[in-house]
Amino acid sequence: MSASETAIARPASRRLARSKERMERLMFLVPAGVYLVALTIFPFVYSVYLSLHQAKLTKLHRMRFIGFDNYAELFTDSLFLDACRNIAVLTVSSITVEILIGFFAAKVFFSLRETRVGAVLRSASIVPMMITPICIGLIFSYIFNPNLGIANFLLGEIGISPLGWFSDPSLALATVILINSWQWTPFMMLLMLAGLMSIPAEQYEAAEIEGAKWYHIAAWIEIPAIRGIVLVGIILRVIDNLRLFDIVYVTTRGGPGSSTEIVTFFAYKQDFQYFQVGYGSAAAVVILFASVIITAITVKYLRSAEDD
Amino acid sequence: MTKQLLMATVAASVVLAAAPAVAETDWDSLLGDHSGKSINMMVVNDPYIEAIRKMESKFEGLTGAEVTTDGFGYDPLHEKEILGCSQQDDQYDVLFIDGIWVGEFVEADCLEPVEDLWGDTDPAIIAWDDFVGSIAGQAQWGGKTYCLPVGAYWQVMHYRKDLFDKAGLKVPETFEETMEAAKFFTNNPDYPGMSGYAMNNRRGAAAGQQYFEWIYSAGGKPWESNYPGSEEPYADQTPLLNSEKSVELVKFFHDMVAYGPPGGEQYQWDDRFNAFAQGKVAMINAWSVRTPGLSDPAKSNIVGKWASAQMPHAKGEKTVPPVGGWIMCLNKHSKNKEAAWDFMRWFASPEIHKEWAMIGGVPSRHSAFQDPEIQEKLPWTKELYTAAKTAWTEGRPRHPLTFEMIDAIGLQVNRAIIGEATPQEAMDTAQEEVTEMLKSEGILK
Repeated sequence: MSASETAIARPASRRLARSKERMERLMFLVPAGVYLVALTIFPFVYSVYLSLHQAKLTKLHRMRFIGFDNYAELFTDSLFLDACRNIAVLTVSSITVEILIGFFAAKVFFSLRETRVGAVLRSASIVPMMITPICIGLIFSYIFNPNLGIANFLLGEIGISPLGWFSDPSLALATVILINSWQWTPFMMLLMLAGLMSIPAEQYEAAEIEGAKWYHIAAWIEIPAIRGIVLVGIILRVIDNLRLFDIVYVTTRGGPGSSTEIVTFFAYKQDFQYFQVGYGSAAAVVILFASVIITAITVKYLRSAEDD
Repeated sequence: MTKQLLMATVAASVVLAAAPAVAETDWDSLLGDHSGKSINMMVVNDPYIEAIRKMESKFEGLTGAEVTTDGFGYDPLHEKEILGCSQQDDQYDVLFIDGIWVGEFVEADCLEPVEDLWGDTDPAIIAWDDFVGSIAGQAQWGGKTYCLPVGAYWQVMHYRKDLFDKAGLKVPETFEETMEAAKFFTNNPDYPGMSGYAMNNRRGAAAGQQYFEWIYSAGGKPWESNYPGSEEPYADQTPLLNSEKSVELVKFFHDMVAYGPPGGEQYQWDDRFNAFAQGKVAMINAWSVRTPGLSDPAKSNIVGKWASAQMPHAKGEKTVPPVGGWIMCLNKHSKNKEAAWDFMRWFASPEIHKEWAMIGGVPSRHSAFQDPEIQEKLPWTKELYTAAKTAWTEGRPRHPLTFEMIDAIGLQVNRAIIGEATPQEAMDTAQEEVTEMLKSEGILK
């Protein structure tokens, strides 16, 4: 091989090596790509496809394209609108309760951070988060059972008439919020505790020298310091609440009336009880877009807060 | 109704004339050898499931096939069966389905018609006419027999005989008398902690089915051509959910809450049974599958203190007892059809059916109801048999929209019960929704 031929061959072999390298890199991405397509992209695309059809699982051969009719029907369906209202109330109330109680719990654990009791209590406090929601639902249906539950027994002991925790329409959603908050307050508490622990000790010392009260410290040092981490917690809890299902399924099944109907339960009923998969898919797509929009707004707010 | 009664009487006479209906069968020669095979069954988690499990080993001894019975709740069973069918799943060979789902399952092509299977089986083994007519009809669709109606339930009213006798109260026959009796026992210092009547008020299937259980005795009908004795109950399905009788009935449900146990608005099947069994309510109506539990000291505090009567009716009307229960079907996608069919015809036969009823199953055959041993062990079946013979087969609608329709009505009935809407408003909404539902399926124009 002449010198000029070698010079031509070298870039060619380099190109070959580079494309081989690229192929190898791509090969590493294939499993993740397949996973993404099979479990995320395809189901999503198929859901959107189904949502544009009148489709019943038991009669898929009679499926027909109806455009956006399912969506139009959804937003005139009083039960779906009740479900949207309920999930909004549930999300805002649960997260508010979780932040308020979580903050004070975090303060207690922060003050006990160097004691053995504090370590033990901290571990014990996260147990609710580790129990599956279906078990939580079952446990609370016994606790709030109108006849045999301990909740009404204790109320009776202090002279209060038994409450219809799940049967009184004005109380049922509040009971679900109570259960949901009980389970997830430790999550907020842990996030805020981590935030508190990241505050430099000098800031506390300076505040003490200045004679600041505890609420001054909370307002001017702690809350600004943990604001970012709390926003992350809010995003995660908003998404969690939008896909809340198990607790409602076990305790109230959306009732009494439509007082605890939520969007996931609505979609579940359409898909798996009535097998109206077109209409159910439309509900699922709406839930997905609502999650994406709410998350995007919160992330935007988070970024602007961080920039400040 | 007269025609129905006549037919039931004739059928019963035929069965008795063909005695001994419950003769010993040579199962060894009749059933195949299915060693090494397994038969999986999906069954609702109702109390009779334990009695089914007790029968498994007997069939295993006869044929070598291993039988497994898996129990599921009412809604999950429906969901799992339809999803399995849509995926042509062969995991379960025998499916117990609620009689009212038959249309939905046939349309989804889930069932192998048993009529095509029984071929040269001795008619005495199937003994079709021995099944009580009001449940037998639920195993048929479009003129074809798809399943075997082995798990029939009917409803009667159970009441605390001891308390009624002590108070000198007459057993109620009308809605008004029922409410008066319920009122008497509620918040009465002589009966501390006692409520009058526990109903099935929970949103969804519970309240929806309750509506159908009472509407005919209220003198109403759910749609135009669905009434006891109708020759063509599906000819005109124009809903009558907001008719005067219908709204009155829902108002009755609402008013009865005041005489029910605390939290009664959320009660469903188990809750009302448990409240009665614990001695907390004076009256319930319940499906017959739970009735044996009232005589079981492990489940009941009122053993020997209760009795049964026909369900009440509106003034000037007649009681039309509800019929429900489970039909045993062969999964079209089963790979063990031969073994599964052998199990089905064995299990459903009058002889084995009696054995099953004696250990906690539900009498569904004339021969079982008329059997002296059963009558002695389960004396309440006498009242139940009267209900069984007068029940209206189409009392709960059997068509492909059944599940959805009952759920939608159940939501509105529950809304009226808890006061979220007036009975008129709730039933107007139910009327509108069911009409839309039927229109979307092309059933109504």
